[in-house]
Amino acid sequence: MHGFELILSVASPREFEGTDLAPYDAVCLGSPYCRRVEGNYAEELGLLPEVVSRLHAAGKRAYVATPAVPREADLPLVERLVDAAAAAGADALEIHNMGVLRIVREKGRLVPAHMGAYANVYTHLAAGVMRDAGAVRVRPNAEVTLEEMAILAREARVEAELLVHGKIPLGVTDRCFLLTEPEESDPKCPSACGEVHWLTSRQWVLKTVGKGVLSGRDMCLLEHLPRLVRDGFRVFRVEGLYETASYRSEIGAVYREALSRAFAGGSFAVEDRWAGAVRRHAPRGLCNGYCFGTAGRKYVGTVLQDANPEV
Amino acid sequence: MAELLASGGSMEMVRAAFGNGADAVYVGARGWSRRRGQYEMDDAAIVEAARYARSAGKILRVAFNTLPASSEVPLFLARTDALHAAGIRDFILTDPGLMMALKNRHPDTILHASVGCTIINTQDALFYKEAGASQVVAECRMSKETMRKIKEEAGVGLEVLVHATTCYTLLGRCTMSSYTKHEQRIDEQGKNHFPGSPNRGGLCYRICLSDWDQVGPAGELEASGVELPNRAYFLADDIPELIDLGVDTIKIQGREYSVPLVGQMVRFYRELIDACVRDRAGFRMEPWRERMSRIVADRDAERREKTAGLIGEGRRVH
Repeated sequence: MHGFELILSVASPREFEGTDLAPYDAVCLGSPYCRRVEGNYAEELGLLPEVVSRLHAAGKRAYVATPAVPREADLPLVERLVDAAAAAGADALEIHNMGVLRIVREKGRLVPAHMGAYANVYTHLAAGVMRDAGAVRVRPNAEVTLEEMAILAREARVEAELLVHGKIPLGVTDRCFLLTEPEESDPKCPSACGEVHWLTSRQWVLKTVGKGVLSGRDMCLLEHLPRLVRDGFRVFRVEGLYETASYRSEIGAVYREALSRAFAGGSFAVEDRWAGAVRRHAPRGLCNGYCFGTAGRKYVGTVLQDANPEV
Repeated sequence: MAELLASGGSMEMVRAAFGNGADAVYVGARGWSRRRGQYEMDDAAIVEAARYARSAGKILRVAFNTLPASSEVPLFLARTDALHAAGIRDFILTDPGLMMALKNRHPDTILHASVGCTIINTQDALFYKEAGASQVVAECRMSKETMRKIKEEAGVGLEVLVHATTCYTLLGRCTMSSYTKHEQRIDEQGKNHFPGSPNRGGLCYRICLSDWDQVGPAGELEASGVELPNRAYFLADDIPELIDLGVDTIKIQGREYSVPLVGQMVRFYRELIDACVRDRAGFRMEPWRERMSRIVADRDAERREKTAGLIGEGRRVH
């Protein structure tokens, strides 16, 4: 790892298409939300060997997402997914469910585990239990502050991954709320979650993707990157699921340049073109409140706070 | 026979629950359970409630089922040490790290994995068993087939909530409330109550029950009055099957409800379970339905009022 790692999440070949991956060091393949997402790498196991090889050839690591809410009936798929990811040479599995972590452990830890956003990692003790079961990296829950994350990573002796930009995962379920009929018969499936749908209630805005609820505003830690470097963070994620190719490409480019500068030391200031890009791609504004102990939808900072039209 | 577990949001509620037939009651340690402070207890009250339970030959279970900060782990250990020294052995936890730490420190404790663990499959149940839990709470929408499999394959006790709410998202995996409003409030013992975070401090503003519209990319209205369902349920028809499945604990949630209502609910389930066990072959639900619908109406009225208050509180800017 050359100083830091910038990860992008991509669900399917459709999301891959048109995305410039040059800014990223790693790609997390697949959607943890729904098995029916078209071309979901976590479901279409036959796609894994080629895409993993392609990423490796480009000098990037390939991680594979596992379902966040695997019911009993989904466990055989999980077993096949773990085997397929290992056979394809994936560098890690992103895991949200403790049962899935156990399956990976029982299979002899064929692939290292990265605990994902829904794994509810809040304490170093929990991270330690997950580490002992095969996790080498954890993404603390969104509610965990930067200060807590640093303690957690240090005490548990695991890498901590941090969402630096994109929609914050706020909730997950196994029923799709964009559909009116059962998944199998509703003509809106699987296209409904590929479109943009917001939930609004006076000052609150959320984004719904059917089986997941995301923040309406985009998490943005751009102006805080020097602090993140000082605090010892090295692994950063841009949430690319349910976004456009230009979002993934342009936001990635901003963070590649900004992180490189932050890691180089010296003076750091948010460039106007960076600010322009993050504002352009955040129609509902920016936030980062959880990191600093306030409500998630708040923006804490002095540079981009005016990008939030509803503050 | 399945244990009937009821809520104890106050000493008065603990007495009412036991008095109406609960085999066990759970209470929340102040600052550490999935309800706000007014429905939790300080250590002195917990010890008093435990004494009361023991004198009645029953069990008091103490919930430490929020997800704290790493820096609060010493507080957790000190508090559970003190309760252990006072004779308390039954705890409800969510964080697998805290589970393992408590079990290692006090091997004679009996740990139950909370509903906050979101246990949805057999492998989950096995994971929490390995972390020290002897019983796990089934996620609210778990199928009977999965319950049966856990009973058969996981070798761990199973607890099913018959009166609770099914959140919009999976309970224990939702941070919608704290996304809208979240504070840091530290008590005299140094515990942060994290108001606004049900996972961390217990207070949920139930924003899912607010008035939502669904709009498209350019803000065009797609649907107004969209429901993000978070429904309270009251299972009765399932009781015979749960008993047949060998479920170990049947749980009635509801620390935030009034004491008389909790008393009525406990009495209802006690009599229903006893009638079912007494004459499984001849048991019929019909005679119970009218009484059940009255309780549900009372429950819904109390819930509506509480929900309106919580949403209003969530909207207020601090």
